[in-house]
Amino acid sequence: MNQNIKVTKRHGNTFRDKLYLPAIFDGVKVTFKHLFNNVNNSNAIDTLEYPEELPTDITDRWRGLHRLTHRADDSIACVACFMCATACPSNCIFIEATEREDGHDEKMPKSFFVDTLECVFCGYCVEACPCDAIRMDTGIFSLTGNKREDFVMDKEQLLSHKGAFGKEISCARN
Amino acid sequence: MSTAAILVAVASFVLGTLLALLTIPVLVWLERRIAGLIQDRLGPNRTNIGGFRLGGVVQSFADVVKLLLKEEYYPSHIKNGKWLFMFAPIITFVAALLAFMAIPFADTIVIDNESLRVQALPIDFGVFWYLAISSVGVLGVVFGGWLSHNKYSLLGAARAGSMVISYELPLGLSILAFVMTYNSIDFNAMVQWQSGTFFGFLPAWGILVQPLAAIILIVSLFAETNRNPFTVAEGESEIVAGFMTEYTAMKFAMYFMGEYVAMNTASAVIITMIFGGYQIPWVSTEALLANFDIFALSLMVVMPIIVTVLIRWMRKNNTVRPTVSTDGGRDFETKVLTIAMIAMTVLVEAILLYLIFLADSSFANSLSVTLFQIVVFVVKLMMFNMFFILIRWTVPRFRFDQVQRLGWYYLLPLALVNIFITAIVIVGVSS
Repeated sequence: MNQNIKVTKRHGNTFRDKLYLPAIFDGVKVTFKHLFNNVNNSNAIDTLEYPEELPTDITDRWRGLHRLTHRADDSIACVACFMCATACPSNCIFIEATEREDGHDEKMPKSFFVDTLECVFCGYCVEACPCDAIRMDTGIFSLTGNKREDFVMDKEQLLSHKGAFGKEISCARN
Repeated sequence: MSTAAILVAVASFVLGTLLALLTIPVLVWLERRIAGLIQDRLGPNRTNIGGFRLGGVVQSFADVVKLLLKEEYYPSHIKNGKWLFMFAPIITFVAALLAFMAIPFADTIVIDNESLRVQALPIDFGVFWYLAISSVGVLGVVFGGWLSHNKYSLLGAARAGSMVISYELPLGLSILAFVMTYNSIDFNAMVQWQSGTFFGFLPAWGILVQPLAAIILIVSLFAETNRNPFTVAEGESEIVAGFMTEYTAMKFAMYFMGEYVAMNTASAVIITMIFGGYQIPWVSTEALLANFDIFALSLMVVMPIIVTVLIRWMRKNNTVRPTVSTDGGRDFETKVLTIAMIAMTVLVEAILLYLIFLADSSFANSLSVTLFQIVVFVVKLMMFNMFFILIRWTVPRFRFDQVQRLGWYYLLPLALVNIFITAIVIVGVSS
């Protein structure tokens, strides 16, 4: 029985601890060291001066703004199968399909909207896509606009985004 | 009353008001900047007027403009005592401001055998003035908390009340020990007492003569200014913002500024009572005046050194990293400030040279000594304000019952024992 009981050491009961002031002095030593070093050389502080300095540590697995990929002949890879719109937990993908006449597949999207104000950037659409047609590898982390409509990406915008990590064309449809 | 007397009185009043009011934006900025630097952040450093950032201090003025332009929102559930609700922050602010007015910024200046106090209020009972006025400040907090008709505000006000009963007694008793030691209730006489030496080699500063009372005084004044570790009245984690919960825009800003004025006042009282006030250690005003040439020459040596260090620091730190695309006009700012600082140094050196070799006027000498003491006072004031800020970002908050326990079980007996010992020593020395 007793061997399972672990006695934790209680702190704060020594005379030095009860005086408070030595402990406060120790704390001030730590904070003052940081203050002094940073006042001495403020450029060494590990922060990003954001709009002028941009992050350099975005990896290819990081989910940025969406894009629609192309095939080798620059036509759209998407076949309008609605997998992504079905997988989407926030219902922010709106696709209208149309018949495809360039000889690749039967269907293609007539319109393809992603409402980025609704999007939670979970990446389920990328997982669901059987054609590797939608990806989130643009590396774009900031999207600004003046009105709500600016944040609804249409097909042309999504096609115009470039992949930031080299792989341009779709791996499944090419 | 002579013209000189009126001039000195007006100048001291303006100086006192400016020191109390103009330090608010500087202190707000210092607080945010030091907090950032302690936590390895940068703090506000962008706001500028025509490229001049001055390290970011312009941010405070932008904040004031924002607070002034904010909607004057008035909580509709407050039916009775609207005027007191509006008046409460003003009580806190004005009490802190008035308490600052009894602090001497320089030694009594003698013009035509007339000694004139360099104090915003030329009174010789400064300690009583301070004790009487500064305790009124908490009334604003209690009124504000009570009239907000809000549970959190009421709890904050109750805590503020509990704070008063915990710190007022030790504060008064520790000040009593100083009054006994310095044998005066005049702040200026206290500073003059401290310009001597102690045991022959130590400066006779209160912190060395009365270390225990000094610690109790500092702790109680931290409590009086509602600063960490004693911010129980506005404990964000438990009671939202305490007594300030219902306050917005300029009403809130009055409380906010009052806190900084109170901190400034507490710093001024602490340096006046225990850190030698406007004096530099070991050197009294009489010594400065008697050896004016030596003083002026050493000032002429020291000032370029300080300015050089400042300029070197500015050139190193008023830059951006090479990875940043634009420097936002920092190069230009550094250049202008460097020229301004060098010009100022040259001007001061020229004036000192003139005073040493050409002019032989005791009036000019005492005026420059007074100016020097004002500068020393401001530097010390800012150093202690920085200490206040450093403590705030180091120590977590006490619970309010812990503060009461600290005040009544530890500080009060210690202050009483200290008075007892002081009395014995004083009787022993004088007999």
